[in-house]
Amino acid sequence: MALPKRIVKETERLMAEPVPGISAVPHEDNLRYFDVTVEGPSQSPYEGGIFKLELFLPDDYPMTPPKIRFLTKIYHPNIDKLGRICLDVLKSNWSPALQIRTILLSIQALLGAPNPDDPLANDVAQHWKENQNAAIQTAREWTQQYAKPQ
Amino acid sequence: MKVTILEWHAVAAWRWDAPADDVCGICSQPYDSTCPKCKYPGDDCSIVEGECTHTFHMHCIATWMQHDPKSQCPMCRQDFKFKGENVAQEPQGEEGRDVGEGAAV
Repeated sequence: MALPKRIVKETERLMAEPVPGISAVPHEDNLRYFDVTVEGPSQSPYEGGIFKLELFLPDDYPMTPPKIRFLTKIYHPNIDKLGRICLDVLKSNWSPALQIRTILLSIQALLGAPNPDDPLANDVAQHWKENQNAAIQTAREWTQQYAKPQ
Repeated sequence: MKVTILEWHAVAAWRWDAPADDVCGICSQPYDSTCPKCKYPGDDCSIVEGECTHTFHMHCIATWMQHDPKSQCPMCRQDFKFKGENVAQEPQGEEGRDVGEGAAV
């Protein structure tokens, strides 16, 4: 199946005008599969980290949202051990007016604003609620350990 | 000098009455182009406007309404209701019409 023009356009724009702190590069043999990196936002426990994600555009994109997963280990109440992300715009609040770039910006914003009241990783959320400072310290340590550029 | 016209061919061009640089918020294609499913622009692949004033290819918004149980406008998340007429006409229609109506100018 030919690649829809919308995907071609989005890819071209991601290359020509990349979002600061975010990169998304399609695989040569599958233009619906992207290697993504997101820089941890400053003033967050993820600052200084570069997080790898994978992004896949399903056949019925943009009627259904892209499938996105963290590949880099991260300590965050809304991201589980498998890298799955709890974010409304990736599920029930998806809109075809959203794009790869806006979704990746939302994910970067989620790193800056963890929400332990809507957890995906229950143990992390619990930690966050009981002792926020300690949880943030763990998130910082994980960033140093797993998300440092080689 | 008298000229007798034996035969003539009329040629006309048309475009949707929408901003030339505007694109469909769903497929990102210009309105004068088609939605991803159609081959030829025109009445068979018309554009529609919602009461919220956002416009889309008719096929694009119809597909989205099938996917979205809430039937919200992709741009503003209000309930999407078709405006009486599409943007090619005076946008003063009162009753919502079914998908599928629309005319080229």
